[in-house]
Amino acid sequence: MAMNEPSSANSKGGFTILKRYFRRELLPLLADLRLAIVLLLAIALFSVSGTVIEQGETLAFYQANYPEDPALFGFLSWKVVLTLGLDHVYRTWWFLALLILFGSSLTACTFSRQLPTLKAARKWNYYTQPRQFEKLALSAEVDGQPANAALANLSQVLQTKRYLIFQDGNSLYARRGIAGRIGPIVVHASMLIVLVGSIIGSMTGFFAQEIVPSGQTFQIQNIFDAGPWAKSQIPKDWSVHVNRFWIDYTPEGAIDQFYSDLSVLDQQGNEVDRKTIHVNEPLRYHGVTLYQADWGIAGLRFHFNNSPKFDLPMVQLETGGKGRLWGAWIPTNPDLSDGVSVLARDLKGTVFVYDGGGSLTATIREGQSAEVNGVQLSIDEIIGSTGLQIKADPGIPVVYLGFGLLMIGVVMSYVSHAQIWALQEGDRLYLGGRSNRAQVTFEREILSVLETLQPIPHPENEEQGDKTSDRTPSPSMQ
Amino acid sequence: MDLVSLQNWLDNASFAVLFVTMLTYWVGVAFPKVQVLPTVGATGMAIANVGLAALLGARWLEAGYFPLSNLYESLLFIAWGITAVHFLAETTSQSRLVGAFTAPVAMGITAFATLSLPSQMQHSEPLVPALKSNWLMMHVSVMLLSYACLMVGALLAIAFLILTRGQAVELRGSSIGTGAYRDARYRLRRAGQEVAPPATVAPQATVAPQAAVALAAEEPVTASGNTAVLNPPQAATSQAAPLTPQRLSLADTLDNVSYRIIGLGFPLLTIGIIAGAVWANEAWGSYWSWDPKETWALITWLVFAAYLHARITRGWQGRRPAIIAASGFLVVWVCYLGVNLLGKGLHSYGWFF
Repeated sequence: MAMNEPSSANSKGGFTILKRYFRRELLPLLADLRLAIVLLLAIALFSVSGTVIEQGETLAFYQANYPEDPALFGFLSWKVVLTLGLDHVYRTWWFLALLILFGSSLTACTFSRQLPTLKAARKWNYYTQPRQFEKLALSAEVDGQPANAALANLSQVLQTKRYLIFQDGNSLYARRGIAGRIGPIVVHASMLIVLVGSIIGSMTGFFAQEIVPSGQTFQIQNIFDAGPWAKSQIPKDWSVHVNRFWIDYTPEGAIDQFYSDLSVLDQQGNEVDRKTIHVNEPLRYHGVTLYQADWGIAGLRFHFNNSPKFDLPMVQLETGGKGRLWGAWIPTNPDLSDGVSVLARDLKGTVFVYDGGGSLTATIREGQSAEVNGVQLSIDEIIGSTGLQIKADPGIPVVYLGFGLLMIGVVMSYVSHAQIWALQEGDRLYLGGRSNRAQVTFEREILSVLETLQPIPHPENEEQGDKTSDRTPSPSMQ
Repeated sequence: MDLVSLQNWLDNASFAVLFVTMLTYWVGVAFPKVQVLPTVGATGMAIANVGLAALLGARWLEAGYFPLSNLYESLLFIAWGITAVHFLAETTSQSRLVGAFTAPVAMGITAFATLSLPSQMQHSEPLVPALKSNWLMMHVSVMLLSYACLMVGALLAIAFLILTRGQAVELRGSSIGTGAYRDARYRLRRAGQEVAPPATVAPQATVAPQAAVALAAEEPVTASGNTAVLNPPQAATSQAAPLTPQRLSLADTLDNVSYRIIGLGFPLLTIGIIAGAVWANEAWGSYWSWDPKETWALITWLVFAAYLHARITRGWQGRRPAIIAASGFLVVWVCYLGVNLLGKGLHSYGWFF
């Protein structure tokens, strides 16, 4: 215990030094708007690099496209690309560090700058001295105003312009659009919420893909991206049965929509949920979402003459990017010495039969037959397979909350906060105002208010300002 | 007349009207004394606006879905948006300069859509499965409206830069409210009865812009802080004239209208990006996948966020925010069309775009 004392005192001292450093050095730096602007532009700039340089390609690709000699722009060889992580910009440590720095800057700015500004904006004073109006660009004095009615008139005019009006004796204060002061704070806070939500998602979520033929059951296994704490999200106690996959085509032959009729089965194989999904309409079950993403041809169901039906898998053929094609080889005699190749392009129901010499011998529609190599080949069904994108993202509710607040916040931020002061001295009315954003429309508004307060000031009237004390509040000037 | 030939007629007519409108605005800037020219220009803009709206409406009727599925339709929609935002800018600023900048861009877009796009791209095509969603209308229309706002705002920033070239400028209008205070030299002069600013409502454009700008130029830049602080002048001067409002100059007005219109485009862009993210999450399972198009939308957002913050930053005052906004014009175009040159994706418009 005794040994602990000096060290704890030391660490206490170290803590205060750290705290002071944080308060005096780090916080002002983080809250510096110029840092924020540099960060915004830096994130923008590095994001550009990720859209110009191909992302996530193979080593051979970068070696072919970014040769060392001559290097692009004299320096951008494949070695530079890979060393800096320019092949996966948005996942590099330096890009994530930039985002974290940005988040810290946001937080610092919210607490050390925005909240005090809002506090100041909510505090306001009546103007009780004519000279207080002088600093405002939009201020005027109007003579010949009835001593008892001028402020009441003004207050009525401002009321129709949706101002919130406060009056005390000869002084009047009116404001509108305080939402415009709160908006930016909501924007910053909601961006932090989105950041937090996305971190939760990347830590606890997973992505998977499954290619499943019609009529089969699968468990989610082919996971290609999972966060470190995603284990509990991956479903173990239920599986999915693909009742049917099909494609609707337009009369012109273009794809109209993909459909998968899916059943969720519990461990006993009982159906607990069922839904036909299509693109833009996923199935959700226990926090896991299954999206229609891709399709393929799994196999062919056929028979010869009066034989039982056979299922033969079809494989996707290399076409060099010229469309998708699936093929299978069907033996036509028992010793496999002869057979035909069957090709299919889509699920429209037609297969093309080629003989051993490679020439087209028949095209057969589903449910029909043709004679090949002396036997009657009947095509019963082209079995489609559905490509499902599967994911769980526990961060989504947080992200959506952030999105919602962000939308509200940016709309609020458009509102311009306007303040008007007035002071009556005898038959002279002083009026002044300011607005933070919409200077042009506010100027017009002030001038229109002044017009209702005719007559125009007389040039011979002089105003002796008192310059000794300036107690003028300047709410938002921090 | 059937819908298709009506559409052909309408897009040619819109292009022709916009061309004449552009020339009218330009001549109007060259001869500021001719009062009729801005009226003719505004009428031309209105005709083009209605013509483009009718064209899009005809396509909606013909195709049965909101016409935003290919490049041709989105170009026409953005041209319509620019003519609409033009009116907002023109009525707010009451300056004939606005049309001189917006009309050529609207004309250029319409010309490109009408004359340069191959005719098979001008036909409406059935939607691909991925786009069959109500989110399409939500996401795309809001995005395109935001592009229109940001483009007009950026154009006004360019106008401001041209107008104030070679001068240092103090900005007015920002979220913290810089520029609501009287200029020191303005007060001094007023006290000496040298300047008598008009107290009655005068057309904005006639208030001498150079005087206020030149005065502001002498404002010394004090210690570098974070946020701009305008110190109210403390000089004790006995006042000879009554207090009258200090009016905004033309440069102030252009700058503030540019700021307001960008301020309108920014929430739209935010909502558009979020709508796209939510749609992507509902349809494909990821709200953000760094697809080039969405990355560029984020870049656009970041650039204009930097602009909004630059306005409230001491040491970045003056023309610098306007330069960011003006470069935002390019960024919006890259985001809208340039990205599609990089490769195909969900946001491809077909053809080489």
